[in-house]
Amino acid sequence: MGEKVQTPTKIVKKKTKDTAFARVAKYSSLRLLSLFITVIIGVYLTIMIANMGGYVDKIMKGQIREKLIVSLREDPNYQLMEPTAKATYFEARVINEEKRLGLDQPFMIRSFRFLYNAIRLDLGQAQFMTSDAGSRSVKLIILERLPSTLLLMGTANFVLFFATIALALVLSRKYGSFWDKFFITASPLSAMPSWFYGIFLIMIFAAVFKILPFGGMIGSPPPETTGQYIVDVLIHLILPAASLIISAFPARVYNWRTFFMIYSSEDYVEMAKAKGLSDKTIRNRYILRPTLPMIITSFSLMIIAMWTGAIITETVFLWPGIGRLIFQAVGMSDTAVIVGTTIIYAYMLAFTVFFLDFAYALVDPRVKIGSSSS
Amino acid sequence: MKKKLIVIISFILVFTLVFAACGKKDDTTAGSTTDRNGGWLDQITMKVITGDSAVTQIQAGEIDIYADSLASKEDLLAINNAGLDKSTQFGLFYELTFNPAGPTFDATGKLNPFSVMEIREAMNYLIDRDYINQEVYGGGSIPKYLPITAGLPDYAKFVEMAREIESTYAYDMAKAETIITAEMETLGATKVDGKWNYNGEVVELIFLIRNDSDGTRIPIGDYISDQLEAIGFTVDRQYKSSPECSPFWIAGDPNDGGWHLYTGAWSVTGMARDVGGNFQFYYSNASGMAFTPLWQAYDLDDELYEVCEALANNTFTTLEERADLFREAIFNTIKYSYRIWLIDGASYSFWDNDVITSYDLASGVDISAMTPYTIRFKDLEGGNLTWGSSGLFVDPPNPLGGSNWTFDHQWQNFTQDYATLGNPFTGLPMKQRIESAEITIETGLPVGKTYDWVALSFQDEIQVPSDAWFDWDVNSQTFITVGDAHPEGITARRKSKVTYPATLFDDVTWHDGTPLSVADFVMGMIMIFDPSTEGSAIYDSSLSANLDSFKSTFKGMKIVSESPLVIEYYSDTYYMDAEINIASFWPDYDYGQASWYQIAIANLAEEAGETAYTANKSTEMEIEWLSLIAGPSLEILAKYNTQAQAESYIPYEATLGNYLTAEQAATAYTNLAQFYTDHGHFYSGVGPYILDRVLPVEQTLTLINNPNFADPSDKWADFSAPKMAVVEIEGKSSIKSGKSATFDVLVTFKGSAYASEELDTVKYLLYDATGAVYEVGDAVFVKEGKYEVELDGDTTTALGTGACKLEIAVVAIPVSVPSFEILEFVTE
Repeated sequence: MGEKVQTPTKIVKKKTKDTAFARVAKYSSLRLLSLFITVIIGVYLTIMIANMGGYVDKIMKGQIREKLIVSLREDPNYQLMEPTAKATYFEARVINEEKRLGLDQPFMIRSFRFLYNAIRLDLGQAQFMTSDAGSRSVKLIILERLPSTLLLMGTANFVLFFATIALALVLSRKYGSFWDKFFITASPLSAMPSWFYGIFLIMIFAAVFKILPFGGMIGSPPPETTGQYIVDVLIHLILPAASLIISAFPARVYNWRTFFMIYSSEDYVEMAKAKGLSDKTIRNRYILRPTLPMIITSFSLMIIAMWTGAIITETVFLWPGIGRLIFQAVGMSDTAVIVGTTIIYAYMLAFTVFFLDFAYALVDPRVKIGSSSS
Repeated sequence: MKKKLIVIISFILVFTLVFAACGKKDDTTAGSTTDRNGGWLDQITMKVITGDSAVTQIQAGEIDIYADSLASKEDLLAINNAGLDKSTQFGLFYELTFNPAGPTFDATGKLNPFSVMEIREAMNYLIDRDYINQEVYGGGSIPKYLPITAGLPDYAKFVEMAREIESTYAYDMAKAETIITAEMETLGATKVDGKWNYNGEVVELIFLIRNDSDGTRIPIGDYISDQLEAIGFTVDRQYKSSPECSPFWIAGDPNDGGWHLYTGAWSVTGMARDVGGNFQFYYSNASGMAFTPLWQAYDLDDELYEVCEALANNTFTTLEERADLFREAIFNTIKYSYRIWLIDGASYSFWDNDVITSYDLASGVDISAMTPYTIRFKDLEGGNLTWGSSGLFVDPPNPLGGSNWTFDHQWQNFTQDYATLGNPFTGLPMKQRIESAEITIETGLPVGKTYDWVALSFQDEIQVPSDAWFDWDVNSQTFITVGDAHPEGITARRKSKVTYPATLFDDVTWHDGTPLSVADFVMGMIMIFDPSTEGSAIYDSSLSANLDSFKSTFKGMKIVSESPLVIEYYSDTYYMDAEINIASFWPDYDYGQASWYQIAIANLAEEAGETAYTANKSTEMEIEWLSLIAGPSLEILAKYNTQAQAESYIPYEATLGNYLTAEQAATAYTNLAQFYTDHGHFYSGVGPYILDRVLPVEQTLTLINNPNFADPSDKWADFSAPKMAVVEIEGKSSIKSGKSATFDVLVTFKGSAYASEELDTVKYLLYDATGAVYEVGDAVFVKEGKYEVELDGDTTTALGTGACKLEIAVVAIPVSVPSFEILEFVTE
């Protein structure tokens, strides 16, 4: 519990204020510092993992040679060179490309440069990837994919969040009903990933009934006007969003319903019922309010989870989102893009965690910032 | 009165001739059946789809064609079951690469059986290529023994050698085991419990099996592993992707012992007409791969090394000599077997039955230069076609250093036109925007020609004119002539003189409405040198190596006349086909086509350090990699286009000022600005389709018909399908030894006789009862579409008794891919 000041004198009040401010300031500083260190460690680990501790350098050097071989096979001038001239020419090309990719420097030095730039949000240029519009700027590569990911993940997650909570609240009050049993039974279906449902949905609605598209973001020929474009995108959104929703829906309902049931059976809820308070009052004041920290946490994490997209679902539906981008970046070992997406996620997560501490204190009077219990 | 009549008749005659001449642009339009110009279609939408769903999407009407290709047995089955039309083209060709270091690895001291050439050679017997073809590729591919792809002209020329090799190295596991056992024992290895051991340790073979690409190398690797395990080896199957394998087999030292075998694959990028260099490339340490530790470990004997060099550098004087060199190379490189060949893979593009398209027998539909001119809906002029591909917009397109992905070239192809157009069935260039060509070759070099419009001659010494352009002065921005660079004069091995049509600059306009001009050609010549030369305002160090390579054989170029345009080109490189020796200048750069003014504004942006043509320079300077179609580059280009328009800017004025006026320059920039307003990008071309809309994030683009294109839509209609010869052999299935026998050979196309004048060779190969090639000869012409092979009594006796074969190989002139047919018969 936090420090309690009971004497209502002016001086003491000021002291209380100062003490509370100092406590919050100290807590915030330490919290921010610890989160910052966590972010640094997390991002550096990402750099090391993405580069397999530097082994990717070896892979990239081999790839440079392999690609060059393929291109030079068709060059008649190269074929006519003497063997020594060929070797010199080839090495010059290899050195050029290695320099471009920074492979002329040891990995450890580059790893710290990656980290330093990432922390400053200087995302720099991708090594291999380009944005769809052709830019190598990591910032543009990410920004280009962000709207479509937010659209897909936002739609799916908002529907999931509000629909499951609403339904769970109802079910928590109707324990043992048909629908309660139905969702208990159906919850294991969420074990199947969304892309699995996606494939089925494509087969049913695109291949068999031919009423929805196989994937992508727009149809063929492309829409001419903004209005047509919006309608077309929404049509293409249906299947990927549905697959994300269908996949997560039963388990989420089950989770929330169980969670609400625990709170619904608290003594003070029984007391409220006994006092004859309306269902609405009981729901809003006695069940939802104490569960708010959990709901806010869940909502906040859902918001930042939208950032990472749905890697395989986006790939199955060829939805041009961040998830697919990360998938491609990992496949190409493009450290700059991997680090770029990671650092933004890390910062968002850190700020969310920091923000949640304050949010808990706002919605739950039992929580005090910086107190030993919090 | 009589005089008046003669005058009137003469006038009518002249008028008629002039009218007739004006009414036809060239011979190719004479038989046109349509008023439509440019492409057959009104609009093409290209979009990205997954290959897995391609067949279903065509069936569902979502797309009309899948222009990428698929290769597996399952894919072939799905395409066939769906009843779709398809093209079959060369896919990857697969091989097994050995690590030849040893006999023991320096780093580990472990035994490497493949250091012994006899063991590598014996691996040919251990692998059943027919089994791989049937099990992995559904029988759609071809078992392979040589570094020559079946279907290329050289394969047809040397088919009897191929058959001899196939017969000699046919699958024989017992023979393989006998040879390998003997050699392993010589190495000091022993079998313990059926497993090879060396120095008390199991001989474990590290097999790098590629698990990416088309996925077919996994079953191939597993099959070979099984075969090796069956004769006592222990195999460590390491399934890895290309990036994971390259540190071992390409970049690693073979003596480190990190691997023994690798499932390699290569691809054919076009209808190569001379693959003599393959022996050097794949087996010799003088190969283009000479820098890799693996190739440095290759050690051919001197004689074979020289044979490979001669074939790579074409240092023979007659085709007979070349054939002898091929024989030497074929029969001796297989003894070294640094790699053994497994399968000539086929891949398939496919489309709805309502679609007609040409395709390249080597590279398929997507990047065939003929596709844009031929693709259409059956019985329909116009219409909107949806084109599916597994990729688009991989890298930014720009002419000097843009995307090199086929995904990006497939749409650029539709926006481009060419001086010569590659024949999709033979690989030979055909006239598209040139009138004639004269090729002069140094006497003694083995060059021949196919088409009449090419004049071929030989000279003992080809002197390069002193006023030909030889190099570029970045300071004065003028060309350095041969006379300046080499006052003593220089010679070349090849001279190409190309004459363009007199109406070229009236017929061809860029999509923004600006006529093609000599400046477009001269800009192309300048850009060979300027960005690659130190001191240039747009110098790019990553391009300089290319220029060095080019200069090593380049001898000069000269604009002989501007109207009609005539250009001479001198070089030391030459090819065996006169047509391929044509240096057909066109505003065509390494990575796409561009007008002089598109290059001009891109150069201004590069000079200002805002964009770069190449990935290297853009990374180095942390600036945008130039894209003509999307992204931040567009605003930069728009800014410089406005500036150039205001200044009537003539780039490289000291040179291009001779070919351009300020008014022409201003008009061109104005046209380009309007094009940018209309289409939202700067990719203006001269082809049958205009790039209309680019939606990069949506992975979609549209192309629309170019109604101002110079040619009618049906100009290349004859190339809608390859004229593959169909061969049938008729004869007795049983013949008596000592008695003569006659076999009829029928050669047809679509049920009609194949004209003899279109056939290059109708060759027969006779196999004796042991399966060896007994005789090779030409079938005798009887009448159109019918040939005959007659075996006399001595021959039938010499065949022995048993099952014999007669194989017919037909090489047609319109199609380089040979047709084969086999008849089996019994001799008693």
